[in-house]
Amino acid sequence: MNNILTVKDLNISFNTYAGEVKAIRGVDFELKKGETLAIVGESGSGKSVTTKAIMRLLPKSNSEIKEGSEILFDGKNLAHLTDKQMEKIRGKDISMIFQDPMTSLNPTMKIGKQIAEPLIKHQKFSKKQAMDRALELLKLVGLPQPERRINQYPHQFSGGQRQRIVIAVALACNPKVLIADEPTTALDVTIQAQILDLMKNLQKKIDTSIIFITHDLGVVANVADRVAVMYGGRIVEVGTVDEIFYNPQHPYTWGLISSMPSIDTEDEELFVIPGSPPDLLNPPKGDSFAVRNRYAMAIDLEEQPPMFKVSDTHYAATWLLHPDAPKVEPPAAVLKRQRKFPVTNDPKGEV
Amino acid sequence: MAEKLLEIKNLKLYFNKDKKNEVKAVDDISFDIYKGETLGLVGESGCGKSTTGRTIIRLYDATAGEVLYKGEDVHKAKNKAKTLEFNRTMQMIFQDPYASLNPRMKVIDIIAEGIDLHGLAKSSKERTDMVHKLLETVGLNRDHAGRYPHEFSGGQRQRIGIARALAVNPEFIIADEPISALDVSIQAQVVNLLKKLQRENGLTFLFIAHDLSMVKYISDRIGVMYFGRLVELTTSEELYKNPLHPYTKSLLSSIPFPDPDYERSRKRIAYNPHDHNYAEGEELKMREVTPGHFVLCSEKEFQEMKAQSANEVL
Repeated sequence: MNNILTVKDLNISFNTYAGEVKAIRGVDFELKKGETLAIVGESGSGKSVTTKAIMRLLPKSNSEIKEGSEILFDGKNLAHLTDKQMEKIRGKDISMIFQDPMTSLNPTMKIGKQIAEPLIKHQKFSKKQAMDRALELLKLVGLPQPERRINQYPHQFSGGQRQRIVIAVALACNPKVLIADEPTTALDVTIQAQILDLMKNLQKKIDTSIIFITHDLGVVANVADRVAVMYGGRIVEVGTVDEIFYNPQHPYTWGLISSMPSIDTEDEELFVIPGSPPDLLNPPKGDSFAVRNRYAMAIDLEEQPPMFKVSDTHYAATWLLHPDAPKVEPPAAVLKRQRKFPVTNDPKGEV
Repeated sequence: MAEKLLEIKNLKLYFNKDKKNEVKAVDDISFDIYKGETLGLVGESGCGKSTTGRTIIRLYDATAGEVLYKGEDVHKAKNKAKTLEFNRTMQMIFQDPYASLNPRMKVIDIIAEGIDLHGLAKSSKERTDMVHKLLETVGLNRDHAGRYPHEFSGGQRQRIGIARALAVNPEFIIADEPISALDVSIQAQVVNLLKKLQRENGLTFLFIAHDLSMVKYISDRIGVMYFGRLVELTTSEELYKNPLHPYTKSLLSSIPFPDPDYERSRKRIAYNPHDHNYAEGEELKMREVTPGHFVLCSEKEFQEMKAQSANEVL
């Protein structure tokens, strides 16, 4: 499969009164054509900042994409495009669905016009053509009575309906990449299930690649082909959805997965990641997860672990995969998962 | 059977009663809470689960119905002393740890507010000692007493909220989505803390949430609400294994679980309230289909469900 988007050594800092916050510290990943890549992590891990950087939506006044960062799309490095150049891509080739459908639509504009807007701007549609296409899109996302509702305002819709409209806006120009930043977090579970099904169906129809940001591992298991786990501004583990859920390697992924009760979790105590996420104003020396990591070794406090290869699709940044590392026993919940998906674990060394 | 701590009988709460825009937020629900158990209350936003919790603790005055705490009606407390007593034994933990702590008060004063109100400390030294002990119980340390809420993270604030609820030695705690605003790794910390406190102090919980996997994990029994009504009530295991009400089935089929294999095979069931086809005058009430398993249904549905579960046993 060919890569549609490649991010290389992305570094982003925010300048605050307290000093420079290194929010993203060397992120590399690629998005393949037609796949869904889920990025998971706690709040503050940098998942939203990464995608906002791809869309170039970070405020210029206090943020900075560092020299040497590459966001390669369609032969261009998005990291260093001018605003004018970026405007041609944003909403056309790459578009975004935001978390809160209550605030991401313009309350003073009829929804039909909001969907038509990108079409008129990017595709040079006439007003009439654009409105016809908007109607088509509303049918596509399953909004009832689209002919009547195309002339209504956002406040006349429920949360789930609004998110469908936001999706219609995002898909208007058949984007090559769709970034969904917690698109279902604000919705109820039954509505969430509908929206996830809708996104999966639409992805098949228009063959777009999706970056899906969420902290809900249940949603990840549902939508993702591949998963990247972020912690403290870095990707600490990346692999296929099965590899991450059934054969996780990084202690942070272990913690994330075992701190959530699964369907068959009995009365045992939940596994807990102690402490709280790192302060990126003064990132700790070595592995930023080390202080919360019960498997941490002396080297974790000294040196940032490189990515180790587990399989052709599976990489993790933990010293535990080093050939000289002692064998450790992952938490019970992880062992249970590994039994479900037997793989030979044969670390292939540093990359 | 265990002792009933709380009996809720035909509780109703209507907003804008007798006006055009009347909302039946809680519509005639009845259930019991046993001493020492955790009862989970789930449902979608707007189904009335938070309103139920808030009415039980008398943040709202009930439109009709009774809330009996150890046999006495909370909503008809005879005098101030009695009200104060109810307020001490019942406490609440709120959803939003950012909005539920007064930003202008120090942690020590937030936690000790109840202690002062109920006169539980004899001297200021005793008061300080109590707060320090509470902070340690919830996994913070005593230095935190002199700080303000903004100096804490979300998880820490929720711990302060829990310490405040515990300060007056309650027997019954209503936790209204206590973990929804927290990160996954922090959720587990708070849930484990609540479970530990329950074990050690014999607390009874009403746990309101929409995250069904966490509810199943923490609750002994679960009630499912839909449009102001309780539609199903049973043990958490039974609810997941053998849901009877079509809405419960639909709700359970929508929850994503962190297991790709399960997700690939999951079939979503849609719920349409019109599918019941209730006839005019059919009486809908909670009926016990199997022992301890209550479902809101008509007499006809009840017989069908009974026959069905009898078949399954055979």
